[in-house]
Amino acid sequence: MDATLLQQMLLGALLALSVYLPLRCGQLSLATPGFYAVGGYVAALLSTQVPLLAGSGSTSPLWALLLEMLLAGLLCGLLALGIGRVVLRLRGIYLAIATIALVEILRVLNLNLPFTGGATGIFAIPQPFATPLGYAGFTLVLLLAVCWLCAQLEQLRLGRAMAAIRDDELASASLGIDTQRVKVLAFVASAVLAGLTGAIAAHFLNSWNARLGSFDASVTTLAFVVFGGSRLWLGPVIGGLLLTALPELLRPVGDLRLIIFGLVILAGPVLFPQGLITPERLAAVRRHWPAGRSPEPVP
Amino acid sequence: MNGRTPRPKPSSTSSQPAGQSLPADQALLATDRLSCRFGGLVAVNQVDLAVMEGEIFGLIGPNGAGKTTLFNLISGLGAPSDGRVLWRGEAIHGLDPARINRLGIARTFQNLRLFSSLSLLENVLVGLHHRARTPLAAALLGSAGFRRQQRQLRQEALALLELFDLADQAGRPAGSLAYGDRRRVEIARALATQPKLLLLDEPAAGMNPAEKDGLCELISRLRDRFSLTVLIIEHHVPLMMRLCDRLAVLNFGERIALGTPAEVRRNPQVIEAYLGGQGTAGGPPLGGGR
Amino acid sequence: MSDLLQLLFNGLSVGAVYALFALGYTLVFSVLGVINFSHGAVFTLGGYFTYLLIGGAVGANGLLAHAQLPFALPFWLALPLAGFGSATMALLIERLAFRPLRQRQADPLLALISSLGAGVIIVNLIQLLVGAESYSIPTTALGHLPAAITIGGAQVRSVQLLLLAISVVLLVLLTAWLEGSRNGRGLQAVSEDPVTARLLGIDSDGMIRLAFGLSGFLAGVAGGLVGLSISIAGPYFGIGYGLKGLGVLVLGGLGSVPGAMLGGLIIGLAEACVPADWSGYKDAVSYGFLFLVLLLRPQGLLGKALPTKV
Repeated sequence: MDATLLQQMLLGALLALSVYLPLRCGQLSLATPGFYAVGGYVAALLSTQVPLLAGSGSTSPLWALLLEMLLAGLLCGLLALGIGRVVLRLRGIYLAIATIALVEILRVLNLNLPFTGGATGIFAIPQPFATPLGYAGFTLVLLLAVCWLCAQLEQLRLGRAMAAIRDDELASASLGIDTQRVKVLAFVASAVLAGLTGAIAAHFLNSWNARLGSFDASVTTLAFVVFGGSRLWLGPVIGGLLLTALPELLRPVGDLRLIIFGLVILAGPVLFPQGLITPERLAAVRRHWPAGRSPEPVP
Repeated sequence: MNGRTPRPKPSSTSSQPAGQSLPADQALLATDRLSCRFGGLVAVNQVDLAVMEGEIFGLIGPNGAGKTTLFNLISGLGAPSDGRVLWRGEAIHGLDPARINRLGIARTFQNLRLFSSLSLLENVLVGLHHRARTPLAAALLGSAGFRRQQRQLRQEALALLELFDLADQAGRPAGSLAYGDRRRVEIARALATQPKLLLLDEPAAGMNPAEKDGLCELISRLRDRFSLTVLIIEHHVPLMMRLCDRLAVLNFGERIALGTPAEVRRNPQVIEAYLGGQGTAGGPPLGGGR
Repeated sequence: MSDLLQLLFNGLSVGAVYALFALGYTLVFSVLGVINFSHGAVFTLGGYFTYLLIGGAVGANGLLAHAQLPFALPFWLALPLAGFGSATMALLIERLAFRPLRQRQADPLLALISSLGAGVIIVNLIQLLVGAESYSIPTTALGHLPAAITIGGAQVRSVQLLLLAISVVLLVLLTAWLEGSRNGRGLQAVSEDPVTARLLGIDSDGMIRLAFGLSGFLAGVAGGLVGLSISIAGPYFGIGYGLKGLGVLVLGGLGSVPGAMLGGLIIGLAEACVPADWSGYKDAVSYGFLFLVLLLRPQGLLGKALPTKV
């Protein structure tokens, strides 16, 4: 497996998780690419404008990358907090449209603001890792950490509250749950994750421009979750990994790959409304592979 | 809905309810000339109620009489166009549902709103949300304290389900249960929020007579065990006559009667509303027993 | 004064296309409650169809390099035919993406996603077949009309006037049809209350197909008009319209036909008001409106507020 492809797959999985988080409480937000772009710009601008962060060797220092990620996450989190509080009062399709608009507004801003490099964007971004494998290793650690957090979420009352809100927001509110707070939290977490991913991606791709945060990316990342399944965190991960690999694997087919991609998005909801990874399928798999774990008295 | 709590005036005694005179300022829940208009339609019209602590108070009336709308106004799912809702003398109308639940009012829904992708146990656990607060670090690391708390919560939830004879189905997804069972889970879930006042919207819908009797007894027991006050909407009038301490009758959004079951049964306006002027107090049960 | 008139004409002609485009969105939304995200692709298709039907030749880059229809139709014929072509595609999408999900009573968001997929397929299929170059429909297709005329000191391209005229005619016809004809009123009935409509014997499925067909036709015509007045800037030129169309839709009010028209005109005019120095931000005008409307008045100017049933 090509390390570059692996890295792309890992980034895809992270972005899919970013889309998944608001979806877990029933909110369809397509804002992930917007925050992804912002995160990337933070990293790109900092590492190209601040010599200290670029380091003096052939690779830029790791701490610089971590600092950039911290700042990217912070910025995206704050943005999401401000926007989310307002936008998350909307429901369903209105919310989805608002987030599409947000992505487009950010894209236009990124394209036109004086310091973002216009249409060509920012290039010659320093590299903290000498090889794609280095990137992949680093990104894998982040992915595993996020997966672990998502898994823990299932145990927390927050996870249950999110599922409750997804199933019935009105009833959840009537049970005393501050639904707005939960939704904003999910939205902010999603934005932070997207920002962190963008920061890494900017270095990995060596250049960054506004097109990376476009509606196309909204569609693609959404497809990851639709294909992989939106009920469990494993779904988006698998969806992100597979669907990122797909165009590459389909390279021999050349120009047909995007068409096949479109077919996946077209047929996915029709054939697999719940996606690939569903609780039922997972349970079926578990039944076939008893891992020596005693069954819980109640699921 | 915003979180503004208008400062209440010192509790005023609203117009005395017909029948028994009960001072509204001792009421747990009271409505004061509560009205709700949708466009040209008046769903609730100047309704006065005073529910005393500890009683089972019934709300009956023909379909479309405004009963569920009244519930919505009380539980924060709608703001009144006029009038007030008072909880222990303080105005709560216009507050959001979560706030109102936190004050001690819980409800079930006419159209059943269970979390269908969650199990019975998890549905009840959602009701225990506020008791499940833990420091994040402890939760993430799975400390002993956290695990103990989780166990306790599960026990509590199971105990609640036990009261409704549903503990053995605790793990099943809520959507897969029989209709009557689902209605009872909704009550259990509402109870988990430890309310002072429980609003039940047609809890007996879809139940056969035996189940209805069981529910009747259950509600009484719950009232005694948890020191609840219950406000209940039901269509099955004989059940209400048996269960409730007092009743209010709504028709076309207005309160046309208030009093004990015996008083209400004799009320000519009520008879008119249900039977169109035929029959006497000794006649067929109001509402046509099923 | 002439500047103002210029602005007005520019804005109105752009706005008229937006209105036509948004109407297609509205028609489908009003009967299904879903946004058809393949609308932009169908619009794109209309542009390409028009180009081919007037005898345009395909460039060298796609599978169909140098293809050309063996005939060349006059523009006034090519445009409606392109509309029908687009309508057919829209019906196909309804059959493949929307109907199966509707029959399964799936979450409407799934239909949205599915339609996105359809759009992606169409656009990439175009790219595959025809390549990514720009095409423009030469104004000679209009025959002997002068290139521009002067009204009150403003230079108005006849193309713009034509655009405005055709759009207005279509909008008027559509409104008349919706109010006046049996099918039109049936469509309105289904959009108000599908259950009651069915009880009254109105064929909801048929109405939905009608809505899709009409919306496809309008999109196709809009695409051809844009190809004429601006250009077809590659297979992705419809995406931008698709997104901006959302802004128009929300501004006017989801599901409101007069709202879509009004919204289109307002946004067209607003874009025309953006000074040349800030032209990069022109696209953001629509999104800015969208955002504001969603925050302040989600049902838009003329839409109905959607209540939740408890």
